[in-house]
Amino acid sequence: MHPMALDAVLMILALAAYAVGAVVLVVYFFSREGWMRNLGATLAIAGCASQFAQLAARYAETHIWPLLNLYGSLSLFSAMAVAIFIALAFRYRLWFAGGFLLAIAALFLAYGTTWNEGVMPAVPSLQSYWAKIHVPLVVSSYGAFLVSFVFSGLYLARYYAERRLAPAFPAGSTSAVFDGWLGTLPSLTQLDILVYRAVSIGLPLLTLGIITGAAWAHEAWGAYWQWDPKETAALASWILYASYMHLHTRTSWRGLRCNWWSVIAFASIIFCYLGVNIWISGLHSYKV
Amino acid sequence: MASAQPLNNLKENTLRFLGNVTVGVALLALWGVLTLIGVVIEQGKDPASYFSWYPAPIARAILRLDFNDIYHSVWYLLSIGLVLASMTTATFTKVIPRRLPPHQAVKIDAIPLHDRVTIVGSVEEVRAGIEEFFTARGWSVMKREIDGTLWSFADRFNWARVGVLVNHTAILIIAAGTIMYWAWGFSGETAILTGQAAQIPQTHDLIRLDRFSYTIEPIMTKSGIVYQPIDYVSHVTVVGRNGTPASMIVRVNHPIDLDGTLIYQASYGFAMRFLVFHGKALVRELSGRPLLEGDAIAIPGTGRSVVYVSFVPTIDPRTHLPSPDPRISDPGAVLGVIESGVPLGEMLLPLRSPLDLGDGWRVVPAHEVVYSGFQYRYDPGVPLVAAGAGLLLIGLIISFYFLPARLHVRVDDAGEGRCTVGVAATTVKGYDIFEEAFHDLIAQLKHVDQR
Ligand code: HEM
Repeated sequence: MHPMALDAVLMILALAAYAVGAVVLVVYFFSREGWMRNLGATLAIAGCASQFAQLAARYAETHIWPLLNLYGSLSLFSAMAVAIFIALAFRYRLWFAGGFLLAIAALFLAYGTTWNEGVMPAVPSLQSYWAKIHVPLVVSSYGAFLVSFVFSGLYLARYYAERRLAPAFPAGSTSAVFDGWLGTLPSLTQLDILVYRAVSIGLPLLTLGIITGAAWAHEAWGAYWQWDPKETAALASWILYASYMHLHTRTSWRGLRCNWWSVIAFASIIFCYLGVNIWISGLHSYKV
Repeated sequence: MASAQPLNNLKENTLRFLGNVTVGVALLALWGVLTLIGVVIEQGKDPASYFSWYPAPIARAILRLDFNDIYHSVWYLLSIGLVLASMTTATFTKVIPRRLPPHQAVKIDAIPLHDRVTIVGSVEEVRAGIEEFFTARGWSVMKREIDGTLWSFADRFNWARVGVLVNHTAILIIAAGTIMYWAWGFSGETAILTGQAAQIPQTHDLIRLDRFSYTIEPIMTKSGIVYQPIDYVSHVTVVGRNGTPASMIVRVNHPIDLDGTLIYQASYGFAMRFLVFHGKALVRELSGRPLLEGDAIAIPGTGRSVVYVSFVPTIDPRTHLPSPDPRISDPGAVLGVIESGVPLGEMLLPLRSPLDLGDGWRVVPAHEVVYSGFQYRYDPGVPLVAAGAGLLLIGLIISFYFLPARLHVRVDDAGEGRCTVGVAATTVKGYDIFEEAFHDLIAQLKHVDQR
């Protein structure tokens, strides 16, 4: 098979595995059928593996580091989000959240395929070994933050569902919803801790990503910090997540407020990742 | 003293305010928002641009508040200063005093994370067994008798309590490194024509450009041909402090170090040599000097001048317009003519063809001279910033992956050769985060007893 055809086949396989896996795991979320969890987990792992195989196939064929455009970078983003999720899911039994994560990962991956420009060598400033270190780190941190975002979403869903349902079912009584999906979700406290754990992966990765970016800038552009829109937006996200970490040390802020904060911080990540690349040009824009 | 009291109160209140974590987070958020404003509003453009992009009142506000150069504005520096002040105050008033709580008796049941296990054996045996149990799992155990009750305290990752301190110190080190650059560093840029030399004003070191070359490749993409630059290379001779000339190569991503000042490949371009004729005679005083883009030649006695606008590497033979191909094959120059300060227009002229300026004057763009653009920078703060960054990373790992926890274990004789063991856990991050691990530990403890 022609290697570029292999690239396309693996991409389609990954997308299909995520799409089906998302449906299966969303059904699992409501039904808690064990076999669905196993099937969904298998599909998640298969999709993630074919994504990494796709990136490797592309690199093997072109000898061009595949992460320097949005096509490759979004692909790594969803692959890393799924990989980090899989690791956490095995460790903390989190497959109930997998459907939402796979659905979002599949959307980003599908969006990434619209940026496939074909094969282009890198411009001189991107031809650096730093590209091979810096980009995966930053994109992996975005992946971890996506995982934290999904758990914050579940936290908020549970929080508001409980508040809405509590008056309707006074103390002691139960409802189908409480017994069903809501009751089988981890408690609010546990969800809150899961968000914290995912941010604990993302924040050091983002810090290391910014540091390696600064090291690269020092080498390529002469100054480790230039207030280029991309690095500045990354700094803003970093500040927001550092604030999240501090808020989380306050008992009164843990829970609802911290989770809204985490949602806003993730919005800043998406702005930094896609907003800046697409709307704001700068040294980092993939379009120049 | 009566007058010292209000002053002390003010100092105390200020410290309490700055050391409050919520205030700290508010300051961090302010810093974050100012940072984002600078991403959304383009920085460092001329005032007219802002009026063309935004409605006049907003443009005026942007300029008045220095949001067009926000990262050097008072607001920005103030926000960082306050963050640092708040962080330092919190470190001294909250973090350091709370470092290592003493080993005290506690009310086991009052601590949310607690459990009780009944273990067979005498008090002494059970205490010894517990010590062995926790030590084998990496806890360090210390025993103490408090008010007649026997307590064991098991601590884990106590050293990691310095994590916060490491993080905050790292941030201060990075700040110090940045300040060193403001105080003693410098940077600038210079364009050097092939065969010419330039001096770095701060160090008086010399750089001569011997040759500049570049590689550009046309690549077919889905949206058409893209001319992708592959490499820029400057061959230079430098004369540093020791006075000995040395040949060096500067390329993108590979700066050279000249007496501690780093010199980077930043850009390239083309100067133009013009021949100026009056009648049939070449006017030597006006000819031959290479002009950079934007430079002009004033034509004597006419009020007219001709501006070298830009170099065009290839003129498209069909359209006679500049081709997007940046490689040189059929070059030309864009020239502008100015009459008494008023621009009359611009035109694209193939090289070596004359432009008639009237009154017998003609100029000919004769040939291009490539120049290389360099950036130079001396930053004595880099080692500090790098050390701070490394330390920050270590601090984050410590803070997030080594959770200092303490188990308070109380052993009471329950009679019939058994003891009740009460265990309560506290951590530096509350109880929830340790809940699962705690229950695992207690389950293991029960399991060990059964064996
Ligand atoms: C506005 C300035 C700041 C203030 C007032 C502040 C204050 C504090 C305080 C009081 C703690 C201990 C919280 C506790 O355990 O109860 C803490 C923890 C911490 N601080 Fe800061 N800090 C500031 C800025 C920063 C910055 C810029 C960083 C850089 C990343 C940072 C990194 C950390 C880390 C990693 C922790 C540990 C968090 C955790 O254990 O989850 N701090 N900070």
